[in-house]
Amino acid sequence: MTWLKLVEGYMPMQMISELAGSILVFALVNWALNRAGMGIPKFWAGIGVWIYIQLYLKYRIYPPIPFSVRAIYGTVSGCGIFMWVSGSEGEWQEFKRPILNVMDGISGFHKGVRTAALIVIPLALGGFAYNSFLPSFEEPIELRTVHPAPPATTKVHGKTFVLQVVENPYRVNDDGKYDQAFTDARIVEQAMGRLMKDVNDPNYNPWDPNAEGYIKYVREGGEIFFQNCHFCHGDNLNGRGLWAYAFNPIPANFTDAGTIAQLQETFVFWRVSKGGIGLPGEGFPWASVMPPWEQHLTVDEIWKVVMFEYWHTGYYPRTWD
Amino acid sequence: MGRLKSRQSGKKFLAVTGLFAMGVMLLLPIFVALPALAGGGAPAAGGPPPDVVAAEEAEGVEGEEAKVEIGRDVYYKTEGPVVGAPAPKTADTEEFYPRYNFESRVLLWVANQQHLYYGSFVLAVPIFCMCIEFAGLVSKDKAMAKKYDQLAYDFVKISLTAYSLTAILGGILIFTFLTLYPAFFGYLSSIFRPVMHIYALMFVAESGTLYIYYYGWDKMKDGLLKWLHCSMSVVLNVIGTVLMFLANSWIGFMMSPAGVDEQGRFLGNIWHVLHTALWNPLNVHRILGNMAFGGGVVAAYAAYRFLSAKNDEERAHFDWMGYIAMSLGVAFLIPLPFAGYWLMREVYAYRQQMGITLMGGLLAWLFIIQATMIGILFLTTNYYLWQALGRMTGGERFQRYIKYFVFILVVGLLVFITPHTIVMTPAELKAMGGQQHPVLGNYGVMSAKNGGINAIIMTTIASFIWYQRGNRVPAVKWAKFGNIFLITFFVVAHLNNIWVACYGYFIPANVRIGLSVPQVAGTLSCLFFGSALNLAMLSKSRELGPIRWGQIAPRSQYALIMLATAFTWMMGLMGYIRSSVRLFWHVNEIMRDNSPWAYTHTIGFGANVISFNVLFFWITILFVFWLGALGAKKAPVPATQPVPGGAPQPATGH
Repeated sequence: MTWLKLVEGYMPMQMISELAGSILVFALVNWALNRAGMGIPKFWAGIGVWIYIQLYLKYRIYPPIPFSVRAIYGTVSGCGIFMWVSGSEGEWQEFKRPILNVMDGISGFHKGVRTAALIVIPLALGGFAYNSFLPSFEEPIELRTVHPAPPATTKVHGKTFVLQVVENPYRVNDDGKYDQAFTDARIVEQAMGRLMKDVNDPNYNPWDPNAEGYIKYVREGGEIFFQNCHFCHGDNLNGRGLWAYAFNPIPANFTDAGTIAQLQETFVFWRVSKGGIGLPGEGFPWASVMPPWEQHLTVDEIWKVVMFEYWHTGYYPRTWD
Repeated sequence: MGRLKSRQSGKKFLAVTGLFAMGVMLLLPIFVALPALAGGGAPAAGGPPPDVVAAEEAEGVEGEEAKVEIGRDVYYKTEGPVVGAPAPKTADTEEFYPRYNFESRVLLWVANQQHLYYGSFVLAVPIFCMCIEFAGLVSKDKAMAKKYDQLAYDFVKISLTAYSLTAILGGILIFTFLTLYPAFFGYLSSIFRPVMHIYALMFVAESGTLYIYYYGWDKMKDGLLKWLHCSMSVVLNVIGTVLMFLANSWIGFMMSPAGVDEQGRFLGNIWHVLHTALWNPLNVHRILGNMAFGGGVVAAYAAYRFLSAKNDEERAHFDWMGYIAMSLGVAFLIPLPFAGYWLMREVYAYRQQMGITLMGGLLAWLFIIQATMIGILFLTTNYYLWQALGRMTGGERFQRYIKYFVFILVVGLLVFITPHTIVMTPAELKAMGGQQHPVLGNYGVMSAKNGGINAIIMTTIASFIWYQRGNRVPAVKWAKFGNIFLITFFVVAHLNNIWVACYGYFIPANVRIGLSVPQVAGTLSCLFFGSALNLAMLSKSRELGPIRWGQIAPRSQYALIMLATAFTWMMGLMGYIRSSVRLFWHVNEIMRDNSPWAYTHTIGFGANVISFNVLFFWITILFVFWLGALGAKKAPVPATQPVPGGAPQPATGH
């Protein structure tokens, strides 16, 4: 369904708003039909709304939502609909009536439905059981830990770094002192979809060849990134590099709110240094082909490229003060 | 007359003397332990043999000073004399880990969890008793006062049997520790030695107070004696809370040790050992959690009695009891997520890897299950309240809006439980084009989740306000203005919540964490200000009809049982998560777990053990309920006088 696009940057709220709008329309239609004496029975209204939500999630949202999440959503929306139809005694009686009518077989039609249900339900269950026993050739589900916990310390180029306390030596203010607030204020301005728009402060422009201090280090980090990282992580740092689709899973998308934005800078330093091969046991199934960059870059270069990634995406590393 | 007076004054004297004696007994352990505390936990009694003392004295002061080794506190970074042995370096042998032909960790897990369930219950219920007895004491309506008193008594009666079971389970737990993890338990005991006996003596004081409180109920039912009886519940709860704080200090030490050096040697400052980085967040979280859990269990008891009631009077009484217990439980459930948030924040601040293991890594999926359980708790609470509107004349005028509340709750919950790490097949991963979904990925982070849970909590508060208004219409002059203001207040709080949730994506994490303050402030304002305003409006109100206690739909009672089961399951789950986050450490970064079970179980296995624990607890608590009902059968049949709400008149004696 592409006639109404999900707008980048607004997608999460758009999805909720569309669902809210639809429910409101259903409520209004039902109200109007009730006024006209043609109200939809509660039983069918409940089932209809539930089916609508499932279809919406399956066909409206793109890229496709994995089944596990749709199952969660389906269950929760099902519970919600149960709460609605049984919220008051009157509504509950109304909802139950068609089921009880069929079970009681109050007419020939209802008896027919009951007979059909008695045949179809066991058959469906049998079919479900049969299918679940069939051998499957699909790759098994991997409960992959995207952010495995880092060690307390890591050794890079012979030096031990305590990840809880170490600071990026290039995240400095004009006086050369570590200053996160200063550097946070000078990240790049973001357009929709976390695309680079403009520098926040013209005095701190990485394209300025005479730039000094923090922004100079960002520039150097950028050079390192485009010499080494962008082939996989992409020009926009969104994980869509030239070689990205040669890998499964594709490389991390730094513009996503769930990656570097959630982590301390030292975590990223550790992951870049050690690469996929240095993932801990918790990182099973170690599905990462990222090289251990400590074999190719110096400690300073790693710090600079990490800082560039935050600068470019407009995110701030997580801190606790 | 004079005889009566002298008997009453005799009673008063006895009560005052009893309370005084109790206070002295309470303080006794602290006095006894003072030398040990002052000496930084050095052996309080006995000491080295006389010949050793004589030899030490002969060496002189200089020799003594030279012997004192100074260690550095792993957390406080202060220096102190090494007075303890290092943490044992264990190996996978019978010496350190004697075992049956079964996984020792699971045995300990079950013993610990059962003790904890009962411990939480018996700590929470006396707090309820205190509140309810006090409410009865200050109530001007005599019938209501009696009703409250009966309810408080019913509560404490249930907790009394549970108390014995708690003690038995505590014994089983200690035996399990001693037989399966002797090295670890020995080390922990050596560290906590200065307060170990305070704990034991507090337990004795708790038992004594509880028994006097229960058995003295009838003897101390009037006048000053009743006040003394009620104040005894305060003493009881103070002891209970101190007990819990001490127990919490052990798990706090295991997760975030302090007061020891890198080798785990005690440095003489017991306060540092107790007051670890996570102690206070754990204390707050556990108090609230226990209260919510206790409320849930009592509500389940009431539901069970309601469903098995033989007449309308019983049904009315247990309907009312279930409502009160549920309200108390939910009152503590509402701030619980905030306390949990604080705890997690402190965990992150203490160790980055611990925080990530919990919420982004290995245990992240368990957190999704936890979020689901929290959602179930709130949804069930709302559902119960909507059902409860059905027993009020006029309640139906709110029921037509239920669908909108359902929508907010469902959307809030969907956001709240969207996983950050999605379970998917490789084919789905490929189709999605990466690990993060561009739409749902945004729900998987804290900013959105805070918005989701706050929306759920505010809706629950609104349901409570509906309930308060069920059969009443405000009759104050400013009712119209008040209604408009109240609705606007809730709408603005919701909008503020959504805006802050979205804004959180555009600012640094440390600022984002601060954003939870305006979100929580909005929610708490709805809770306190909204409820207070509503009550002010109802201070002068027109009643549309009575509350028909006992005429609630039976499915509401199943909702109460589900509420309690969800509490139980969630407690088991969170305990498992909290304990698992230490991974292969008995004491984080100090004492390594070298048993064959120092690995993290699969989610399925963990869930099965939790479910077993829940099932076991509910089977045993049913026994407790049955005992409670057994006692009730012997109580005198209440007089059938009309009382507010149609509830039965409480028994005059117990």
